[in-house]
Amino acid sequence: MSNHVKGNTNEDLRNRVSLAASRTAVYIVLIFIALICLVPIWLMLVNATKTTSDIQQGISLIPGGNFFNNWKILDDKGMDIPRGILNSFIVSGFTTVLSVYFSMMTAYAIQVYEFKLKEFLKGFVYFIVLMPTAVSIVGFYQYVAKLGLLNSYIPLILPAIAAAGSVFFAKQYLESAIIMDLIYTARIDGCSEFGIFHRIMMPLAKPGMFTLAIFAFIASWNDYFRPTLLITKQEMYTLPLLVGSLRGDTYRQELGAIYFGYAISVLPVIIGYVLMARQIVNGLSLGSVKE
Amino acid sequence: MLMPSAATKQQMPVQGSVKLKRGGKVQKDYTAYIMIAPFIIAFLAFGFYPIVNTLYLSLTNATLMSRNYNMQGLKNFELLLQDKFFFQSIVNTWKIWILNFIPQIGIAMLLAVWMTNVRLKIRAIGFWRAVFYLPNLLMPATVAVLFSSLFDFYGVANQFLVGSLHVFSEAMDFKINETFMQGLVAYIQWWMWFGNTLIILIAGMSSISESLYEAAMVDGANTFTMFRKITIPVLRPVLVYTLVTSLVGGMQMFDIPYLITDQRGSPNGSLMTMFVLMYMKFKSSKGHIGLASATGIMTFIITAVVALIVFFLLRDKDELALQKDRKRYKKQQKIKARGGAAK
Repeated sequence: MSNHVKGNTNEDLRNRVSLAASRTAVYIVLIFIALICLVPIWLMLVNATKTTSDIQQGISLIPGGNFFNNWKILDDKGMDIPRGILNSFIVSGFTTVLSVYFSMMTAYAIQVYEFKLKEFLKGFVYFIVLMPTAVSIVGFYQYVAKLGLLNSYIPLILPAIAAAGSVFFAKQYLESAIIMDLIYTARIDGCSEFGIFHRIMMPLAKPGMFTLAIFAFIASWNDYFRPTLLITKQEMYTLPLLVGSLRGDTYRQELGAIYFGYAISVLPVIIGYVLMARQIVNGLSLGSVKE
Repeated sequence: MLMPSAATKQQMPVQGSVKLKRGGKVQKDYTAYIMIAPFIIAFLAFGFYPIVNTLYLSLTNATLMSRNYNMQGLKNFELLLQDKFFFQSIVNTWKIWILNFIPQIGIAMLLAVWMTNVRLKIRAIGFWRAVFYLPNLLMPATVAVLFSSLFDFYGVANQFLVGSLHVFSEAMDFKINETFMQGLVAYIQWWMWFGNTLIILIAGMSSISESLYEAAMVDGANTFTMFRKITIPVLRPVLVYTLVTSLVGGMQMFDIPYLITDQRGSPNGSLMTMFVLMYMKFKSSKGHIGLASATGIMTFIITAVVALIVFFLLRDKDELALQKDRKRYKKQQKIKARGGAAK
């Protein structure tokens, strides 16, 4: 301490210089890693706007003007991008609504009521979050086939009712969002239990539900594994399936069009992310820690 | 007066139940069960039954085409254990996962330490986090085919290395190099996941009280000691969570190794992960779903055993002891309270 009081300015200065140096080094590393993250994405978006010969001529980070023409090339080759977008929105939309509503309800029941299965369910939800459920895909496929539900969106959508990850997040969220006083007051006022959930808890939990919805939507939007097993009809393809088929021989010579296909499959998510990055990142921090 | 205050919110469900016991507890229980019923039913139908069905199929000689199939005991598992491709797929999966996980946790940890460091005071942390997390949101299928295009013979990587930097005199055929492709898949996994891990670590670190570090600094601890003695122990549950979720996801790796080459794990089976192998058996001309199921079950067993070992090895012994003490203390308090009331 006494050293500091004396005002050892020399050491002070050296400390400040070394701090500034390490700060600069950290910023350089941060910028470098940010470039690693962004450059491939930017290249993809830029190439989606260029002609095949432009792309072959060399790397450029400046967009061209061939965006709509690339779309037309894919269309001429029989790839129905708007249809794929629509299909993806149908599957992801329904999945999101089901998973948010039922996860909230399940988490609310676990959080608010006392019942025999409560402790078991808490542990059980955590258990299935960590369970590699996709290992059962063959059994799932065979039974869906028996029910005659191949080439249907039902087996892609309905499992969202039991989204363990969402329940886990919803429970974390409700722990801090539930106000028991409100529930008691509502009961005294004669509100039914479901009424309390729908008219009091859901409006209160809107921010949490919004985060849940974003993650459920993205997970469903990006899913390739299940649709590739269950959907074989071209006109029912979701975007990931269309993207997967872009590597086929039909499109080999059409680089611009291929990049267009890639770009269009991720653009909705990127645009959504640019608009809502803060909520998404905060939601992620909220959901994963604590346990 | 009887309403609990906000400070005791954590314990409120319990207090609520005390109230419920007086008035219509049965009816409230009933509501809870109705509320969780959809989850339970959907889990049984889409989570539990498929597992049972997979387990059952793994014991049969079922194929996609056949209507009839027979139980044949553990024959599929025997076949798998004699199959050198199966062992190759296990080795591939682990290799790619480890190659991705070590840099992932390392770089995420380093960045998290920098970004939460009080002395460095890095600006715009929200911006950096957002940028680093972006790859995680992209469709894995797209990421796979994008990197596949970038590393084509006439792709961007060769344009850059040969045309711009002149590192090589002629274009490289990346797609036939086994080690390179395994490394590339591991790199893509890292690229997609380090931001996610970073955000989780930052969230964990920001819960550590500033005063702990200050006290340590007064005692003359240096940065590394503080990291080892404060940050790591407090972060332990977060690290275990990251490790286990990454392991579970990594063992199921499919989209990227499957789509980046020819959908058969080329070159030379080096990208054939356990799930790619399962899918190949499923999609083979005979459609051996019995054998594919057995592959899935084996993946599950491997994952579960390793996850349990991780939990066991990394469990917090001090915390366990503390919990026991707490329970004992509570019991004693209860006994005391009862005794007091009786007197």
